[in-house]
Amino acid sequence: MSGDHINTPTEDLEDLYENAPCGYLSLRPDGRIFKSNATLSGWIGFSQGELLGKKLHELLTTAGRMFYETHFSPLLRMQGFFNEVALDLVTKDGKKLPVLANAMERRDDAGNLLFIRVTIFLAAQRRRYERDLVDLRTAAEAAKREAIAAKVLAEAGLTEEQAVAELREQFIAVLGHDLRNPLASIGAGTRMLLKEELSERAQKIVALMQGSVSRMSGLIDNVLDFARGRLGGGIAVDLNAREPLELVLQQVVDELRVGSPSRLIETHFEITHKVYCDRARIGQLASNLLGNALAHGAADKPIQFVVSTTSEQLEMSVVNGGDPIPPEAMNRLFHPFFRGDVRDSPQGLGLGLHIASEIAKAHGGTLVVASSPIETRFTFQMPLRPGGEG
Amino acid sequence: MSSTLKRNNVRISGSGERFIVFAHGFGCDQNMWRLVSPAFENEFRTVLFDHVGAGGSDLAAYNTVKYSTLAGYANDLVEIGDELGVKDAVFVGHSVSSMIGVMASIKAPEMFESLVLVGPSARYIDEGEYIGGFSRAQIDELLESLADNHLGWSAAMAPAIMGNPDRPELGEELTNSFCRTDPDIAKEFARVTFMSDNRDDLGKVTARTLILQCREDIIASEEVGEYVRQNIPNSEMVILNATGHCPNLSAPNEVVAAIKAFV
Repeated sequence: MSGDHINTPTEDLEDLYENAPCGYLSLRPDGRIFKSNATLSGWIGFSQGELLGKKLHELLTTAGRMFYETHFSPLLRMQGFFNEVALDLVTKDGKKLPVLANAMERRDDAGNLLFIRVTIFLAAQRRRYERDLVDLRTAAEAAKREAIAAKVLAEAGLTEEQAVAELREQFIAVLGHDLRNPLASIGAGTRMLLKEELSERAQKIVALMQGSVSRMSGLIDNVLDFARGRLGGGIAVDLNAREPLELVLQQVVDELRVGSPSRLIETHFEITHKVYCDRARIGQLASNLLGNALAHGAADKPIQFVVSTTSEQLEMSVVNGGDPIPPEAMNRLFHPFFRGDVRDSPQGLGLGLHIASEIAKAHGGTLVVASSPIETRFTFQMPLRPGGEG
Repeated sequence: MSSTLKRNNVRISGSGERFIVFAHGFGCDQNMWRLVSPAFENEFRTVLFDHVGAGGSDLAAYNTVKYSTLAGYANDLVEIGDELGVKDAVFVGHSVSSMIGVMASIKAPEMFESLVLVGPSARYIDEGEYIGGFSRAQIDELLESLADNHLGWSAAMAPAIMGNPDRPELGEELTNSFCRTDPDIAKEFARVTFMSDNRDDLGKVTARTLILQCREDIIASEEVGEYVRQNIPNSEMVILNATGHCPNLSAPNEVVAAIKAFV
C-alpha cells in the first residue's frame, strides 16, 4: 500500500521531550537541576524556570529527602542507576504526588560523571494499590496471629484434662520419690549399722528404727495411693502370676515383726494355685491389715495371718483379739481418715483400711470385717483370675 | 571464621602494621567504602564490616533488645576489635557509625588511637538551643514513612539485586549485596539512628579526632559537625568540597587525602 509512508507521522523529538507521557529531569553532578520537561512542570506546578538550579531533594518531603540521601543516592553512585524507586514529590501548592523514578548516570570516556537523567512516572493509583496490599498483608498477618492463638487456645482446652492427669501423675511420682528416697537412705543406714558390732541396746534401737522405716514406707504408699484415687487416677494394678505371691507376703510379715518385736504374728500359707494379682498391691493390702491388727488388737494375743487358695479364689484373713469394733464404727471403717479411736495409733492417718479395700476392689475382690468379743477378723477374697475365665 | 567475624561479615585486606577500621552508616553496607578503603591497603590492614541487619551480616543475630540502642552496635565493634587484636588503630565511621565509633572508643580507649568521623551528628533532633537539623515531627514522619512504605522500600532495594551492565568491574557478588538491607531491621535501625543522642559522650573521647564535613549535607549540617568538633576535646574539622551526605562515594579522593593527611 503506497499510501502508508505518506501517512506515517514524523516524531518531533523536541516535543517528545517536552510533552512525553513522563517527567524528565537532568541533574548536574552536584545534584542541581539543569533541565526538565513541561510534563513534570504540569504535574508539580513549578515552572521549568523555577526548577532550574534546585536540587531533586528540594522536591521531596523531609522523610523522602533523608531516604533519598541515605539510600538512593549511594545506590546511584555505586551501580550507576536505580529503577522503580517510590518517591513522594511535593507540588508547589504543598500536595504530595506519589511517583516512581528511574535514574541513570551519564559518564564520559574517562569515567567522570557528566550528569544524571531521571525519569518520573505518576504512581498514585499504583501506590494506593500497594498501600492496600500492605494494609491487607498487615491485616492478614494479624488474622494469622489471631488464628494461631485461637488454635493454641483450642488445643489447650482439649488437652487440659490430659494435662491435669499428667500433672497429677507427675506430682504423685515426684512426691513419692522425694518421700521415699530419704527413707531408703535411713533404711540402708540401719542395715549397715546392724553389720557393725553394736551393744545390745543399740541393736534394739536400730531394729526399732527399721520397723519405723517400714511403717513409714507403708504410710507413704497409702498416702500416694489415696491421692491418686482421690485425684481421679484410681488404683492401678498390674495383674499377673509370673512369681509366687507367698514370698511377698512373707516379706511383709518379716518387716512388721522387725518393727514390733514384742508381738506374735502366726502365719499359715497354703497357696496352691496361680493367683493373677498385683503382688506389690496384695502385699500392701496385707501390710495394711496386719498394721491395723497391730495397732488395734490386744498386745498379748497373737495375730493370725492365713492365706489359702481354692480352685476359684484366694482368701486372706487377718485375725486379732481385743475389744470388738463398736457397731457404729463398722460402717465407716473403710472410709478414708477413719480412726477407731485416738489412743496409741502408729498407723496414724486412717488410710490403711480404705486403701486395702480399694486394692481389693481393683482385684475384683471383697474385703469384709467381722468383729466380736472373741476376735476381729478381716477377710479378703478375690478370684484367681480377675476379669477373665480360667 | 569466628562467630563475631561471621556475624558482621568482616573483611580484612592490606598489609600494614596498623589496623584501619571502616564502619558504614544507615542505608548501606560496607560497599560504601569501596572507593576509599583500597587506598589504605599499602600502609594499613583494612577492616570492613556490615552492621547486623545490613549487607552480608548474619540476620539471625539480630536481637531487638540488643540493637534498640547504638550501644548494641558499639559492642559489636569492640568485639570485632578484640577478636582481631586491634590496638592504637584508626577508626573511620560514616554517618551514624561516627557515634558508634565514639561509643566504642570510650568503651575500649586503647583500641583506637584516632577517629575519623564522616558526616557525624551527635543528635538529629533540635532541642532547646541545640540544632540537630530536624524537628521531632520530621523524624516521626520519616519513621512513619518507613513503616508505611513497605513496598516502596522493597522496590528501592530491588535495583540492588539486579544486574549492573555499566559497571562490570563490580562483579556479580558485589552487585548482589549492594546496600542490601533487611526492611524490618532497617526500620528499627532508622529509629535508633535518628532518635539517638550522644551529646554527653563527646567529652569522654580521648582519641584524637578528625571530622570530615561536607557542604550541603542535609542529614548532618555544618552546624551539627561544628558542635561535634567543639565537644570532642582533641578534634579538628576539615570541610570538604564535596556536597551531600556520602563523600565516600561522591568524592572519594578528597576523603582519602584528608584521612591520609590526618593519620
